[in-house]
Amino acid sequence: MAAITEPVPQTADQINDDILRVLEPPTPMYVLMVLFFATLVGCGLVAFLYQTYWGLGVTGLTHPVMWGVYITTFVFWVGIAHAGTLISAILFLFRAKWRNAVNRGAEAMTVFAVLIAAMFPLIHIGRVYKFYFMVPYPNQRGLWPNFKSPLVWDLFAINTYMITSIMFFYVGLIPDLGAARDRVRDWRRYLYRALSLGWRGSSEQWRHWSRTVLHLSGLSTPLVLSVHSVVSWDFATSMVPGWHTTIFAPYFVAGAIFSGIAMVITVLVPVRKAFHLEGYLRKEHFDNMGKLILLTSSVVGYSYGMEYFMAWYSANPYEQMSFWWRGFGYHWTSTWIMISCNVISPLPLWFKWCRTNVAWMWVTSIFINIGMWFERYVIIMTGLSHEYDPAAWGYYVPSVTELTILVASFGLFLTMFTVFLRLAPVIALQEVKELWYEDRASAAGHGGHH
Amino acid sequence: MAQVLGVLKTPHDLVAAIEQLKGAGFRDLEIYSPVPSHHIEEALDRGPSPIRLLTLIGCLTGVSFAYFMQIWVAYDWPLVIGGKPFASIVAYTIIGFEMNILLGGLFTVLGLMFFGMFMTRKGHDAYQPSFSGDTFGCVVACHGDQVPRAQELLRRVGSTEVRVVES
Repeated sequence: MAAITEPVPQTADQINDDILRVLEPPTPMYVLMVLFFATLVGCGLVAFLYQTYWGLGVTGLTHPVMWGVYITTFVFWVGIAHAGTLISAILFLFRAKWRNAVNRGAEAMTVFAVLIAAMFPLIHIGRVYKFYFMVPYPNQRGLWPNFKSPLVWDLFAINTYMITSIMFFYVGLIPDLGAARDRVRDWRRYLYRALSLGWRGSSEQWRHWSRTVLHLSGLSTPLVLSVHSVVSWDFATSMVPGWHTTIFAPYFVAGAIFSGIAMVITVLVPVRKAFHLEGYLRKEHFDNMGKLILLTSSVVGYSYGMEYFMAWYSANPYEQMSFWWRGFGYHWTSTWIMISCNVISPLPLWFKWCRTNVAWMWVTSIFINIGMWFERYVIIMTGLSHEYDPAAWGYYVPSVTELTILVASFGLFLTMFTVFLRLAPVIALQEVKELWYEDRASAAGHGGHH
Repeated sequence: MAQVLGVLKTPHDLVAAIEQLKGAGFRDLEIYSPVPSHHIEEALDRGPSPIRLLTLIGCLTGVSFAYFMQIWVAYDWPLVIGGKPFASIVAYTIIGFEMNILLGGLFTVLGLMFFGMFMTRKGHDAYQPSFSGDTFGCVVACHGDQVPRAQELLRRVGSTEVRVVES
């Protein structure tokens, strides 16, 4: 068993100092890093303008593969967006106190990921300015969207999730913005004063705030399970071999949580190191996240196996051909990257030593991120390229434009996250302090807060 | 009315202060805390937050509006498919559910803004920046002749600082 050696904060004021220190003026290294990520975004913007000018012909999309990297990346980022709500809402309702240290970073990540995800269907439609056709609004032609279409369900699900995640993130942040307002002395004081909405931590404010957090958690829990289910129905309600299956909803939800937790680890490990937050983002947090990864990896691995089993057991030649194609066709490398990263790479986490080894967890999380992108790529690309009629089979290779926009999405995510680090506490200050007082009260025999 | 402020170090001390003050007949209390605490809420006994009603209203409004919108649209531009009914209630459950969550959440947050931010008790101006750090404040509003008693009670529960604040 690994020894837990991180320093424990001694006073509540030290917790304030340690966590709010992250907000201090940035170093040149930090500025360079933000500029690098912003440059990636700039490249993506150029690629997007190029595509908007010339049309979708600049992508690799062609019959029969009309969904490619953009939809793959959309599903990937929606999946990443699941971790914040899982950690903040579901673990909150289960009273899993270890979430307190990681929930803020995960919530921020959720908001940024869902904002990026929401952009990809717009990029994918090519004529982005025609987006409003999806929105039900009274128009002179008397036309309405078809509410029986999973694509319209998706519009509502993603937007609901985006708005709810932003509200959840912001409500949780209000008390900490009040603490930041009382500490900083530069121009940000005015920003925090405005954003904290006059927060003073009075009894009335805590009473309504606690109830709001509880209700948002209760609302977000079924929402987070529904969002990726709805995304999975984009596929599962169509008659494409490899897509038309009832396990897609739980399979997608488990995959989303799997990839989301991995991304939390990917971004929080460098933050922990750079800002000396070892006393807050402790090894037991990584241990617990490792257990969640093991659970969801097992569900995902089971789903992979079950898809192949059902293809064989169904005796449906189209289904069997589709899955044979996945494993041994043109894109067999994508499938085996997916299986290696998502099923094999987490296996060492059965050992506590690996789960409490932060470097090991970080490397594993990166493998999972790669594997989960490829999972969606495999589902979309192999499904569409190899349907029923051999005369209609096709092939898909992503273009430079698509890959540039893919890389830019990571650049945008990292830009937003690094800027966020300097603008708001990356660890939920009041929640960490609440736990700290609770531990102290228990130690003093006063009984904890529940 | 005068206000007496006691500055305390722990939530436990604050709960003790609230109980002592209420026991002595002081009813107009305000507290400042850097952390939420159910013990403090229970000691103050202010009752359930009205926000729960707003959440319910939001959820019901969302789901009703979503079904109304979808059914109305189905009849406004009918899609005639094999003699099936125009409105497909089961398929509309998805958007009904999403709108239920969306408006439930929006009403909840608007409730927080209204009750928690704009309707908070005015007149208790004893807030100090350390209340978002590592201290807890307990403010008692009382008549001038009750001030010594309030000060004594606040000192007895371990206040590190007790002072009279002008209202």
